[in-house]
Amino acid sequence: MISDSEIDLEELLNRSMKPDAGAVVAFVGVVRADPGVRALEVEAYEEAALEELRRIKDEAIGRFGVSSVDVAHRKGRLSLGEVIVVVVCASAHRKEAFQACEYVIEELKRRVPIWKKELTEEGERWVRGDAC
Amino acid sequence: MRIKIRAFASFREILGREMLVEIESGSRVSDLINHLCKIKPDLRRALFSDTGELRDYFIIMLNRRRLDLPKDLEAAISDNDEVAIFPPVAGG
Repeated sequence: MISDSEIDLEELLNRSMKPDAGAVVAFVGVVRADPGVRALEVEAYEEAALEELRRIKDEAIGRFGVSSVDVAHRKGRLSLGEVIVVVVCASAHRKEAFQACEYVIEELKRRVPIWKKELTEEGERWVRGDAC
Repeated sequence: MRIKIRAFASFREILGREMLVEIESGSRVSDLINHLCKIKPDLRRALFSDTGELRDYFIIMLNRRRLDLPKDLEAAISDNDEVAIFPPVAGG
């Protein structure tokens, strides 16, 4: 899910709470107050991003045997301290849930077409992506 | 034939969010890039170095499939294809 509005953390966690899942691991990414940064503008190639997220989710389920993977990413303008991304992985046991959660956030940052622009006191600048 | 161009992040600031381009049938990705560079000279500066070498700081998707550049510059494009241009991703 890629959304303009605030991510409902509780709703996302509740969705993963099932009796067969003994472990629910969440990664919550927050807009960090780096020096000079006042806000963040997030842009997505939404159709391609959702397709890539679906692939990453299927890979995580295939590799780690987790029972569910949920991802929510914000777009639009975000204030400092706001939640920008949430990954929730549920599994019978914690090890697989931790591994899947790390896999999903790392692959998201590497592959999903989303970009961030920092709005600073001096102006605006795109956050440079590493992978090409 | 008609190609839909979509651009994101720094490339959106050069090309605009979306546009339709008319290009000769049988064109390849490289022909489309040359055509776009003629319309938007800033794109040439973003894609090519001063000596005309293709930079590696951009990604092209054809119908939401990532192209392997520079090899896929010779990939054929067809009527109604969607070509997206953007910098390396930086979400999360």
